[in-house]
Amino acid sequence: MSQKIESNFSALQLSAAKEVANIGLGHAATSLSDMTGTSFHITVPKIESVPVAELSYLLGGPEEVVVSVYMPFEGDIHGHIAFLFPWKGAQKLWQMLLGAHPCDLEKVGEMEASALLEVGNIINSSFLNAISDMTDLKLHATPPLMTAEMSASVIATIVAEAEMTDSVALAVETNLYEADSGTSGYFLCIPSESGLQTIFERLGISEAA
Amino acid sequence: MVGAQHLVGMAELYSAKGTAKYTCLGLGSCIGLALWDASAEVSGMIHIMLPEKFPNKPVDKIGKFADTGIPELIDQMESLGASKGRIIAAYAGGAQVFKFGSSIAGSKLEVGARNALASKEILSQMGIRVVAQDVGGTLGRTVTYDTATGEFRVRTVTGGERSLCKLK
Repeated sequence: MSQKIESNFSALQLSAAKEVANIGLGHAATSLSDMTGTSFHITVPKIESVPVAELSYLLGGPEEVVVSVYMPFEGDIHGHIAFLFPWKGAQKLWQMLLGAHPCDLEKVGEMEASALLEVGNIINSSFLNAISDMTDLKLHATPPLMTAEMSASVIATIVAEAEMTDSVALAVETNLYEADSGTSGYFLCIPSESGLQTIFERLGISEAA
Repeated sequence: MVGAQHLVGMAELYSAKGTAKYTCLGLGSCIGLALWDASAEVSGMIHIMLPEKFPNKPVDKIGKFADTGIPELIDQMESLGASKGRIIAAYAGGAQVFKFGSSIAGSKLEVGARNALASKEILSQMGIRVVAQDVGGTLGRTVTYDTATGEFRVRTVTGGERSLCKLK
């Protein structure tokens, strides 16, 4: 067993992760549609493994504002999942959910937070359930937390919680559509080192890249 | 004269003799700590992620923890001619950026506060005078330290940029 997660996942592992993401986010779209009464679609154009130090560049840079819903999870394995939207993407999402959006950061109040916490909760939990179903591992998420802040400060806080620096996260580019409007963000999964190995073992693809 | 410029990423530390400029982008629960010895003209900066090393795990990056990183940075500065007794400090960060959600009160998300406390205690134990600090709250911070002017500046998204102190 290697000491650290390899900096690249194998193509097979990424492909399996994409499959899990597609299933999980498919469920999430159904739940979102039920909640809002309008039809949501979620697609996963890209999934990649990214060194955590570089994550903020996927979101426009370390000082770009992102809106993030974060949930640590526990159970047979533990880890951290988060949904991150660039500020403009989050504004579109608020527009879809509330029919209005805050024009700047200071206008993000309890109502805006609550709407995104709910969406983040649905998306993150659906993803966890998909992993759980495919691997037969028991996973449960802790209640979601939300922020709108500089991307580096959000990512570093999650990484510090995950107590790692050199490892990689799975970054799932995620597009969310409702009728004629769409937005995209990143879904981030940082499992514990042993947890990730367990997931891939259960999926029958435990070999490193 | 343009001196060294360092972008100090997570768990990194840098030291320099002569003019230098350091930046920590988007600190959340992390701490950006700058040190300065005026007579040796030696400076340093560290981007601390966690308060202390784990008892049961090897230290993967010495700059990651306050208890390993701060002494290491001072060692590096001393090898450039600094003297511990003359070094002064300023730091910022240690926020709790996830301010919305039901579980904050009961959550373990207090790394920021623990980082700030550990930094304060270690500096105090080592006899290093803290000129200024800006810690806690819910805002992400970008920190810059320019030894040419001594300015230690803190920038937030909603509050703009301000000078915390002159570390000079």
